[in-house]
Amino acid sequence: MDEHLTYEAAYNELVAITQEIESEEVSIDTLAEKVKRASVLIAFCQAKLKRTEKEVNNIITQMGNDV
Amino acid sequence: MTHKTYLRLSELNAAIAGVLGDAFGRHSFWLVADITSHTYKPTRQYHSFELVEKDEHAQQIVAKMSCKAWGLASGRIQKFEEQTGQRFGNDIHVLIRVQVSFHNVYGLSLNLLDIDAHFTLGVLARQRMATLERLVAENAFIQKEGERFRTRNSELPLPHVIQKIALISSVTSAGAEDFKHTLQHNTQQYRFEIDDYFSAVQGEANANQLLSGLLQIFHAQKDYDAVVIIRGGGAQADLLIFDNYEFGRAVAKFPIPVITGIGHQKDETITDLMAHTATKTPTRAAEFIIAHNKTFEDSTNALLKQMLLQAQQLLTAYFQELSRQNNILVNSTHLILNSYKDGLRQRSMENGHHTRSLLFGHKSRLLQVMAPLPPIFKGLLHNQAQKLNQVSVEVRSLAEARLRHEDLQLRQHCMWVRMMDRDFLLKKGFSIVYSEGKPVREPEQLRTGSKIDILMANTVVKAVVTEKRDKNG
Repeated sequence: MDEHLTYEAAYNELVAITQEIESEEVSIDTLAEKVKRASVLIAFCQAKLKRTEKEVNNIITQMGNDV
Repeated sequence: MTHKTYLRLSELNAAIAGVLGDAFGRHSFWLVADITSHTYKPTRQYHSFELVEKDEHAQQIVAKMSCKAWGLASGRIQKFEEQTGQRFGNDIHVLIRVQVSFHNVYGLSLNLLDIDAHFTLGVLARQRMATLERLVAENAFIQKEGERFRTRNSELPLPHVIQKIALISSVTSAGAEDFKHTLQHNTQQYRFEIDDYFSAVQGEANANQLLSGLLQIFHAQKDYDAVVIIRGGGAQADLLIFDNYEFGRAVAKFPIPVITGIGHQKDETITDLMAHTATKTPTRAAEFIIAHNKTFEDSTNALLKQMLLQAQQLLTAYFQELSRQNNILVNSTHLILNSYKDGLRQRSMENGHHTRSLLFGHKSRLLQVMAPLPPIFKGLLHNQAQKLNQVSVEVRSLAEARLRHEDLQLRQHCMWVRMMDRDFLLKKGFSIVYSEGKPVREPEQLRTGSKIDILMANTVVKAVVTEKRDKNG
């Protein structure tokens, strides 16, 4: 996975691929490649979201402990 | 000179006393005057002072008389001080009831019987008003807005958190202790840094001390969040120090927010009016600061909660959006794959159909063509027939060559077989040796003396073996 990929960039790329596929502009030759790339992007985005969610929850828990 | 030519002083004084007594008797008079040369002996509760009247310009003294107050009158003065907040002393303008008295030793003087607090209050109110008007008139940084005053100090933003405090109070102030106690025992456990700047906080003459306290704070160049001016409650007397023009001006101009906790129940002092925030007591001042800090803490907590809530909502939205993209992706991919598959199936079905119908078409067309063949096709057919003939000729000649070859081989074989024939061989000059009726094939069959028959083409020769040796021997 690209080291410096941001959520924003990953998501934008994902949307672009999705739109391409949705509009059926993708040839069967590159379809698998595109879908594979999209799945990687989704996994990346999900991991990032989960990590963020965990951090936010940690902060909330910590706040609860401080009060 | 006779004895009668002079009076003793006491006689004269007695005569004066008599005349004065007749004239003023036990009458008393309300009079207005200023006080100077005031002394007070607390042990005897004895006030001694002079009453003066000045001309219109308050320059020249036009009348002067000594005056005393003790006993009941001293009690009146104390009450006056409590009611007015004005210490009885020099340079105050008072309405007093006096009695003329002449003492043989102390001479002419007035005895104070009563003092009118309302008159002095009026005077003070007018003074206060005049001071306020002067403050507004002479200082651009002080403006009156309705009943309130807007000053440079009151317009300063309070820091979100007040922690470093410069405290002006007297050394022995119980109010300062109240203030510190309240601050340091707050339930929120906020920490405070308090620097003391001691000053007298009563006695109008001490206004300069108060002012220098403020200047010390200014020159300390510490980042104080606020200046707090404290004066304990209790006796209401002598608040006038806080109505001082110079001090009021300094507070109004001061670059650090000033919070007052000057114990009093009556009108706010000019210092209160010029300050950033005025509270009624030292304890209230401390409570104000704690509440102010708590407001900040509450607001940051609320912001934090709101932010986290928003973060969670945002995350949820992101998750949903991602999952939506995922669904679109999966569905679209399936759609594409299916459409390709369908297309392929359709094509293959069409292909089958097509092929069959094509074949059928060809066949029927061939039949159609066969019947009345156009000349050109006949020619073509002819050509084909010729080619076929050529091929058949070639095939035939090849086949004949092959047959000839086979025949030759066969003949050779026949020849070979014929050559193997006995009579043919005998005729060619070969002979066969028989021994005991059997053809001799091995030399062991013959011994010296064996009788042999030699068969030739037409002759049999009978012979005996005379010698037997190796051909090479």
